[in-house]
Amino acid sequence: MISNDPKQKTNRAMTRLIPSEFLELNWRVGTFILMIVLGIYLMMIYPMTDQVNGLIDPFYSPTVLILPFIGLFRLTCYAYRKDYHRHIFNHPRACEIGFRAETKGREYTGETRLFRIENLHRWFMYFAVLILPFFFYDIYLAIVTEGGITLGIVLLGINAIFVTLYTLSCHAVRHLIGGNTDCFSCKHNVRQKLFSGQTKMNLHHETLAWISLTMFFLVDLYIRGLQAGVLPNIMLIH
Amino acid sequence: MEEKIILNIYRQDPSIEQKGQLQKFEVPYVDGMVVLDAVRYVQEKLDTTLAIRWNCKAAKCGSCSAEINGMPRLMCKTRVDTVGHNITVTPMGAFPLIKDLVTDVGENWEILRKIPKFTPREDMESPWKMQQMDVERSKEFRKCIECFLCQDVCHVIREHSTPYFGPRHVVKAASMDMHPLDSEDRSRMLDQVGGLGFCNITKCCQDVCPEHIHITDNAIIQEKERAVDNFYDPLARLIKRKKTKERSVA
Amino acid sequence: MAEQYLNTESDILIIGAGGAGMRAALAASDAGLKVTVVSKSLLGKAHTVMAEGGIAASLGNVDPKDNWQAHFGDIIEEGVYISNWRMAEILAKEAPQRVYELERYGALFDRTPDGRILQRAFGGHSYRRLCHVGDRTGLEIIRTLEDQVIHRQNVKIIDELYITSLLKKDGKVIGAIGLKMDKGEFHCFKAKAVVLATGGCGRVYKITSNSWESTGDGLGLAYRVGAKLQDMEMIQFHPTGMVYPPGVKGLLVTEGVRGEGGILYNSKMERFMERYSPQKKELDARDVVARANYAEIQEGRGTEHGGVYLDISYKGADFVKQKLPSMYMQFMEFAGVDITKEKMEVAPTTHYQMGGVRVDPDTGMTDVKGLFAAGEIACGLHGANRLGGNSLADILVFGKRTGEGATDYAKTAELVEVREEDIQNEISRVLSFLKPDGINAYDLIDELTSTMSDNVGIVREPDRLNIALAKILELKEKYPKVSAPGGRKYNHGLLAAMELSNMLVATEAIVRSAIMRPESRGAHTRKDFPKKDRAWLKNILCSDVGGEMKLDTEPVPTIPAELMELVKQEVY
Repeated sequence: MISNDPKQKTNRAMTRLIPSEFLELNWRVGTFILMIVLGIYLMMIYPMTDQVNGLIDPFYSPTVLILPFIGLFRLTCYAYRKDYHRHIFNHPRACEIGFRAETKGREYTGETRLFRIENLHRWFMYFAVLILPFFFYDIYLAIVTEGGITLGIVLLGINAIFVTLYTLSCHAVRHLIGGNTDCFSCKHNVRQKLFSGQTKMNLHHETLAWISLTMFFLVDLYIRGLQAGVLPNIMLIH
Repeated sequence: MEEKIILNIYRQDPSIEQKGQLQKFEVPYVDGMVVLDAVRYVQEKLDTTLAIRWNCKAAKCGSCSAEINGMPRLMCKTRVDTVGHNITVTPMGAFPLIKDLVTDVGENWEILRKIPKFTPREDMESPWKMQQMDVERSKEFRKCIECFLCQDVCHVIREHSTPYFGPRHVVKAASMDMHPLDSEDRSRMLDQVGGLGFCNITKCCQDVCPEHIHITDNAIIQEKERAVDNFYDPLARLIKRKKTKERSVA
Repeated sequence: MAEQYLNTESDILIIGAGGAGMRAALAASDAGLKVTVVSKSLLGKAHTVMAEGGIAASLGNVDPKDNWQAHFGDIIEEGVYISNWRMAEILAKEAPQRVYELERYGALFDRTPDGRILQRAFGGHSYRRLCHVGDRTGLEIIRTLEDQVIHRQNVKIIDELYITSLLKKDGKVIGAIGLKMDKGEFHCFKAKAVVLATGGCGRVYKITSNSWESTGDGLGLAYRVGAKLQDMEMIQFHPTGMVYPPGVKGLLVTEGVRGEGGILYNSKMERFMERYSPQKKELDARDVVARANYAEIQEGRGTEHGGVYLDISYKGADFVKQKLPSMYMQFMEFAGVDITKEKMEVAPTTHYQMGGVRVDPDTGMTDVKGLFAAGEIACGLHGANRLGGNSLADILVFGKRTGEGATDYAKTAELVEVREEDIQNEISRVLSFLKPDGINAYDLIDELTSTMSDNVGIVREPDRLNIALAKILELKEKYPKVSAPGGRKYNHGLLAAMELSNMLVATEAIVRSAIMRPESRGAHTRKDFPKKDRAWLKNILCSDVGGEMKLDTEPVPTIPAELMELVKQEVY
């Protein structure tokens, strides 16, 4: 039934926009949002002003201002999508049928409404690829500043490698380098090789996603530890 | 003494009974037996009125789909020694029940009818030539035996009412879209009519597929990306249009 | 009180939705006719999906020397000269067209390096001839035809419907009556022509590679309305079926394994096919390899579980997984055997009925007007032994031909009113099985299939054939006491009771024909007559005469001289 009541109209517009997951009381969603807000708050009150022992915090490479885009890249990533739809929004809670009781009868809008933003993953990916060189540039800078390789630089290196692997193993990359063609033999021989190579990486996309995310935080904590003077910076090769 | 296993089989004729219940049967264990062997033993020797659906008994036809201890599986492909000696077998919950373990999967044919059939390009010389590497991608989807376990496990199909066609049907569309000589693009209709956006890629379908098809990674995400080409990425659309033009000129 | 039923009128009724049934439906639909397809199982589950190795067609893509003449010669020679030459000619000539047509319908075959359809070697074929999709060719055919059929407006598909009898009036078949299992409703079909595409009767044996469906339903239906059954003694045993674990005993191991280089060994690790067939070895015709495997097992050189070894592991894991993916999975998941590392254990298993309902080679019409047959149920093409890959060619070539034959017939025929009394009688006959006490059909089926496997196997002896015949006649006596408890809805017990009558027709025809043929030819091996006999260049026919099965023989139709030149002279 269509009503002309203006109040209901705005309600309808709202519900057409906001995914149903956010319109219901769910401690998981609440906790998740709280954690993000807390994270942003902490970064604001404890900002990293300058490099520490030549190391630039990965969250600030090249500038903290791009963080929202990187965040969106990760939020719209197919691997994370699986995880947060399952474990935060509980759609579904598990593949086993017996554990499904909780999702039954709940409203569900999937990746429609605001979650249509998932479809822009490709654009965030372009951006993420563009800033990849900065991670390596930071390593170069650190080596020059320190005149050798320190533990922090090794950590930055590992972090850069995982970020790169994660970014390049993305499903959107997979689509662009080969997934979008049905005929490799029509002068796209190279693309076929790229595609099958990338597919091997892509199979581990979810693992890479989590490793690289964890690395980000570990490296950040390490550098903050150096700044606070509670962690040592060990020179490995002079 | 001969070894026995216990089967708890769901019994209900919805035209007569409001509620179903599990009925317990004891079946002699045979080395290497699968759940279907045990269920058939019940149907043939203990209670011939038990409704079951099976056909090839070789995991090639996809008839004997059921939920074994709460997981959607093929009865013919589930060895008893992998699920223990006390087994609960229930019908697929995503489809209307006909009787006991048999469900009405007819809605799937209605959906399949909505997916445009294979539409070859018109500029082809006969006999057609294709390269093996181009055939491989679509071939994965052609392994599908239409057991509909993916439809059964999919929470969108099972628990919600949406326009989403379901994993099997995205696989079907992908099998034709990725045919090197097909000229249709089914991602548009999947997105607009088939509710592709309702899939939140939680990958249960991929987990239960008895043919080990990478449903989510290779079919659904690929179709979603193609839909992005069509609706969310003007750049990709422009390139694509130029290519189609080139081809039609050639 | 009169029972309710639903009426369906169509130009053509097709019974069976396997490859032959669906291809016939497409042919009739192309001609603009209204078609109804009914099938016992769900749509797309037909036994065709079990076909693995490929479809035989002389495209000459891999061996350019191959042509229809060579294919024709192979069919006649390996069918041991009792095939119908006209059917062989049609198949050899038209199979390539059907393969290319299937490709245009959307099937994706494996390719040669230059992009054409790849063909593999198979037993008994003189060239590499089998177009394939890995080892899932049948599945690809079914999916492709299904995709075409469901998009046709003039084709109606009713699945899970079991036809209980054909309707006949004035010597013509005019329709059929069936039970829709999932609803428990009766249906009456009126049609100008009826096509049987019901498949074979492999399930009359205990150890079989056949699906649940293959109970010879078409044989019973046709036989009861007066059609003649031919070559029923010719039952093909596939040389390689699984033997372990017991649950999958008989399950097919595709000939593709041998086609790709698989080697057979006995328990002494001797490559025994070098003794039985020094030239073709593992790739000889199925009857030869099956007998060899059987002999090795009988003579005590079998494996632990009563089979012989088949080895493909020496080809390397990548090769095996790419060429034989479903075999790899089948052994891994059912038997816990990794065929890329270990040998398989295999033994012969019932596979195919070469015999069946006699049909006209060009139109597929049986001896009864208005009744057509195509596919495994029809007879004549394969003679005494079927070559691998010819069954898939058969269902497409003769599916189309029969669809067209039925179309031509239907264009001049008219729908005939069915007498209400006949319908009601048939419905009450079916319902009379629904009684709580009586004999469980499954018990009798068990007895019947064990008898067949024990006594009417690869090598046959008169004593044992007579034991089997006596058993079949005893079961026929008991049959009226068969009953099934429960209702009409999805009652497999009731279905088994009805299937049993068809299985009895099939087995009686097999055993009587086997007793009648005093020679060894193709799949039919008699211990007491180990040689071929020129006097038996004949086909045996079974027909219903007043409730008794009567057997006749007819000489094999003479091959025209110009075709005879393509065939090696038969040697005795």
